[in-house]
Amino acid sequence: MKKDQEILENVENQVFDNTEEIQNEEANLIENNNVDDKKLEGQIKYNNDIHKFGRIFTLIALGLMCFVPIFTAISVKSGPDWGRLAKTIPFTLGFLAIGLIEAFSYAPLLGVGGQYLSFITGNISNLKLPCAINAQQVAKVEQGTEEHEIITTIAIAVSSIVTTLIIIIGLIPLAIYQQKIVEVLKPISPYVMPAIFGALTMVLIAVYWKNSIAPFLLCCVVAIIMHSIGMGGTASISTMVMVGMVFSIVSNYIIYNREKIKEKLVTKFGKNKSKHKDDVTADSSEETELEKAETKADSSEDLKVEKAEAKAEDEIRE
Amino acid sequence: MKEYNFPLVFVLGAVIAAVVIAMSVVFLLKAIKRGKQIGMTNEQFKKAITTSAVFSIVPSIPIVIGIGIMMQLLGLAIPWIRLTVIGALQYEISAVYAVSDGAAELTAGMLVSATLVMTISIISGPLFNAIFYKKYQGKIMDLQVKNKKKMDAITGSLLSGMLAGIISAILIGGFFTLTNTKADGDSGIVTNGSVTLITLAVSMGIIAICGVIMKVFKQKWIENYALPLSILGAMLVAFFIHPIFVPVA
Repeated sequence: MKKDQEILENVENQVFDNTEEIQNEEANLIENNNVDDKKLEGQIKYNNDIHKFGRIFTLIALGLMCFVPIFTAISVKSGPDWGRLAKTIPFTLGFLAIGLIEAFSYAPLLGVGGQYLSFITGNISNLKLPCAINAQQVAKVEQGTEEHEIITTIAIAVSSIVTTLIIIIGLIPLAIYQQKIVEVLKPISPYVMPAIFGALTMVLIAVYWKNSIAPFLLCCVVAIIMHSIGMGGTASISTMVMVGMVFSIVSNYIIYNREKIKEKLVTKFGKNKSKHKDDVTADSSEETELEKAETKADSSEDLKVEKAEAKAEDEIRE
Repeated sequence: MKEYNFPLVFVLGAVIAAVVIAMSVVFLLKAIKRGKQIGMTNEQFKKAITTSAVFSIVPSIPIVIGIGIMMQLLGLAIPWIRLTVIGALQYEISAVYAVSDGAAELTAGMLVSATLVMTISIISGPLFNAIFYKKYQGKIMDLQVKNKKKMDAITGSLLSGMLAGIISAILIGGFFTLTNTKADGDSGIVTNGSVTLITLAVSMGIIAICGVIMKVFKQKWIENYALPLSILGAMLVAFFIHPIFVPVA
């Protein structure tokens, strides 16, 4: 009887421990969910705040920018030359389209705050984005996280302040020694992009080399063709960035979905049917083996539990 | 052109610069506040601010040079505003040439037209942000929450595409202009392919050396300054070798 009671107590204790463990796990899960919900709520609130201020500042800046031609017209006491303006319509339309494409394509890279700031202060590919990438590497934040977004916004905000101040400071010597400064520094201005992207490529290539190979080769082909037919000026950095982004999205889509695409093509054209059949059979046999193993493991565990329970019951009966 | 330095436009420039700085400060403070809420450290903020400030110095210098080049046509105030807000030397110069057909001196009508073309042409990006971006960003965030892997793949693809586009333009452009000594018609700047490729290689080399110093000699501090150092080093090399490849006429 004493033995029975001990066994019963043991079983009860075990059941109690298990229930407590389950309850703790549930409490942790609820707590984690609450933390995640709170974080998401905070992130949404932060984003809405940035959208609100971003829109206000963008509209103010746009309004002020529109005053430039108005104030110039007032100062020179003349209106625009409408005939010449009409001639520039294709030029204007081209740049309007580029602006839209850039706003769409840079958005996932710049984050909410970075997007509003960059499209007011400009110099995105040659200053803001490299600066943000550098800060992300130094602060060691994971892509796609809120920390990543925060660091990007900080980097672009700081960069905008520094650039605006440097321009203001630079105006003084420019006003005094304009010709001399331009003469000395003008020759090196085309080499800023190779200087930035030589180093940045070395930093990024370790992470993105797989994604970059195909678009890089395709871009090279396009650039070679453009230069060979005398349109080298069109293969400028700003054009090639857009071309590269399109090539990269398409090529990476193909790489990541190659199995699906292969299956679709095989189904459509009915080629290599037997080979595909073999693959499918191999895959399904692998799956079956896996399923069998899992079932076996599950059933053996169940069996063990059943056996233990039966043993405990027997012991009680005895 | 001294007569184009209008006080009214200078005042407008000062107001615009103040708005840009105010916007940046507001976003900076909001980002830091949110960062603290999610447990980011002051050390991370400090690192991000310092490296970004140091990084931005060298690439800002060509913007000042751009103002110097543009002021020969437009005076000081207009280029200052145009390059403080969204704008770039090549694009602004193109706008001036599109209006003036390459005339050495702009008439009053041409000047007003040029500023009008510059303003209208860049309006689409900021206008998109003011009207549609919130909705677009909501979709990006939805995708981020529902399928992080897919969103990471899209972001990775865009970044690799940008990198591929820029490097291919620099490399192929460099190879096709190895011995170029002719100035670009609009800006009057000579881009020599040999100098371009050497600058690219030097920048790669310096950052590689920084990496070795960091790893082998355990000098971690260099990580924060590796990129600005590489840019500065490469620009210095470009400064000294440019006269060798492009002799002054």
